[in-house]
Amino acid sequence: MMGERSLVSVVDDDESVRESLPDLLRQFGFAVEAFSSAEAFLASDIVSETGCLLLDIAMPGMSGPDLQQELTRRRQKIPIVFITAHGDSTARPRLLARGAVACLFKPFSEADLLDAVGAALLSRTHGP
Amino acid sequence: MTDSLEARSYAPIESSIPVGAVPLETIMCTEELHRRPSRPPGHEEENRALVKLVSALADSPSTIFQTLAETILHITQCDSAGLSLLTTDGQTPDVCGKRFYWPAIAGMWNTHVGGGTPRNFGPCGDVLDQNRTLLFKHFERRYPYLLPVVPAAEECLLVPFYVAGKAVGTIWAIMHSDRRKFDVEDDRVMGSLGKFASSAYQALASIDELRFQIGEREKAEAAVHKLADGLEVQVRVRTRELERSTAELLATNKELEKEIAKRRRAEDRFRRSEALLAEAQRLSATGSFSWRVATDEITWSEQLYRIYELEIGVQVTLELIRTRVHPEDLSLLEKMVEQARTGMTDFEWQYRLLMPDRSIKYMHTVAHATRDLDGQLEYIAAVQDVTARRMSEEALAKSRSDLAKVARVMSLGVLTASIAHEVNQPLSGIITNAGTCLRMLDANPPNLEGARETARRTIRDGNRASDVITRLRALFSTEEFTLELLDLNEATREVIALSLSDLERNRVVLQSKLAEDLPTITADRIQLQQVILNLLRNASDAMVDVDDRPRRLLIRTEREDGDRVRVSVRDVGVGVDPQNVNKLLDAFYTTKSDGMGIGLSVSRSIIERHHGRLWAEPNDGPGATFSFSIPSSQERVTDTAL
Repeated sequence: MMGERSLVSVVDDDESVRESLPDLLRQFGFAVEAFSSAEAFLASDIVSETGCLLLDIAMPGMSGPDLQQELTRRRQKIPIVFITAHGDSTARPRLLARGAVACLFKPFSEADLLDAVGAALLSRTHGP
Repeated sequence: MTDSLEARSYAPIESSIPVGAVPLETIMCTEELHRRPSRPPGHEEENRALVKLVSALADSPSTIFQTLAETILHITQCDSAGLSLLTTDGQTPDVCGKRFYWPAIAGMWNTHVGGGTPRNFGPCGDVLDQNRTLLFKHFERRYPYLLPVVPAAEECLLVPFYVAGKAVGTIWAIMHSDRRKFDVEDDRVMGSLGKFASSAYQALASIDELRFQIGEREKAEAAVHKLADGLEVQVRVRTRELERSTAELLATNKELEKEIAKRRRAEDRFRRSEALLAEAQRLSATGSFSWRVATDEITWSEQLYRIYELEIGVQVTLELIRTRVHPEDLSLLEKMVEQARTGMTDFEWQYRLLMPDRSIKYMHTVAHATRDLDGQLEYIAAVQDVTARRMSEEALAKSRSDLAKVARVMSLGVLTASIAHEVNQPLSGIITNAGTCLRMLDANPPNLEGARETARRTIRDGNRASDVITRLRALFSTEEFTLELLDLNEATREVIALSLSDLERNRVVLQSKLAEDLPTITADRIQLQQVILNLLRNASDAMVDVDDRPRRLLIRTEREDGDRVRVSVRDVGVGVDPQNVNKLLDAFYTTKSDGMGIGLSVSRSIIERHHGRLWAEPNDGPGATFSFSIPSSQERVTDTAL
């Protein structure tokens, strides 16, 4: 599908997610970087290289939606897939409306994850 | 000196002509004047004499008589000249005088000034009687009292002296020798001088009178002034007094006005406070009474009559009060009365009234012991109808416990969401790690080390999930299962009231159909309400994405056969797949990630503990209906937990 390895960044305060998700994604050939907070991601030098951002919604400090807004402000058009264990289904349409590619509720299946990440990377290739 | 001279010179007043006195004719020789040769009138000399008289008058008016005497002496060239004037006091000319006195004499007789002669027997009297000039020769031969007056008079010419037309005296000239004889000219000059002197005297008298009058006038004026001054002073004093008293009056008036205003205010206040008191008594449902123990005289406030529902003004007696007091509290009343009679102590007691309509009123009385004006024991008391308070206290206690229950119901809602998060995190890890593990094993060559690592993580996450369940179980096992008799409709209404704001926010239109014939059930109120709450939230969440139709939610209670009751919640949401209906109620199975799976699972276990059943079914139209049914009475509670 893609000739080059696309960089996927994972931002989640839950350690088990930061351990498991990158490993699985690497099995599919993605390059993955994990961050424990939105601030750590923004401070890194790979923001512009990120082809897909897997972003937790509820985090201490800057939340997922906060980061989404901040990236928009910085004109960094990174496709975002939200992942959350704390379901507030009413938030979903709002997040999607702001440009998120997908919103996954934990626990999600491997297939849902791959669909979402694939869609995100595609949107970047063909996106505006 | 003058006094002794007077005493010597005055001749006694004769009551009658003395025996031996020669007749008047023998001493008078007046007719001879015309026969004697007359010297020519010395007008020049006379004028000089008059000027002298006038200047004497001007210089010193009091000496006019003396000047007149000297002038006569000079002009007639006689030896003595003088005046005789009628007097009553020996000094002042007075026509009514009984004797003549001599105020001024010039010449040889001048030492006899102050002497005089009687009016009725003497030469001057003769002149006035005949009212004409008389000439005497040795008149001492007829009037012997003149013998001591020396030197004796050879001839004496006397001319009447008039004042204001009345003859008051004479002016006279005397020759003590026959050196010369008086003639007509002497008569004329003396008359002329006499007239002048008379005028002068009159003028003087007038002046004196004038002076006197002026003096009197001045005195009068002074007196008037003094009087005026006095009056003025008095007026001033009086004015001041008046002013002072006016000021005092004004001040008093003001004081009075103030006093009146104060009184009026006090009266107003009194009236107001009376009105306020009545109003306050009415508003606070508080009456008051006074009780004179000795006479059992009881006075009630109007409000107390209203509380006791007795006609205002009816005479209050202990007997009357007994008819209202609740029979169970009568003994208490007697005890209180007994105690109050014996000692002077404040007391407070609560009792009930049983009204004619069998309703009960709760009363609270606080009495204060005091002495009345006669020193007799008197109680003043406030009686409050605390029925409403009692009721509201009960209601408050009930709503407090309700609130506590509601809080617990709410906290379960929050708890389930929290549980969902806690469980979903490890679940997510398990699924992801399992996937990774499979991938690693499928690789060529298989990444055995990685697979082992991810398998270990899977086990770890599995344990985490297990821990959450353990905690959850522990949480519910601490929850006491308390059975009570309850009205299912009421319990349902409480949950609806609790959820209403959430439902409105989600634009859910709620409809309730609560059966009226429901039996009272035995159940754990809180747990049952948690189930109902979960069903409501579930239904509401199922309709979040519904925008093409009203988000209708119907909750109903029904009576079922076999002495059971049913609660069902019907929504028009996404609905349920008939094949997944049973899975839906399994623990942790959910179509959403917000913890409803846990909620339904917990709900089912609660219903099962009540020997009931929880199920879901798709509607004919859109949405699903979740229901539970339980027996109305609970004989035994099974200890099955989750």
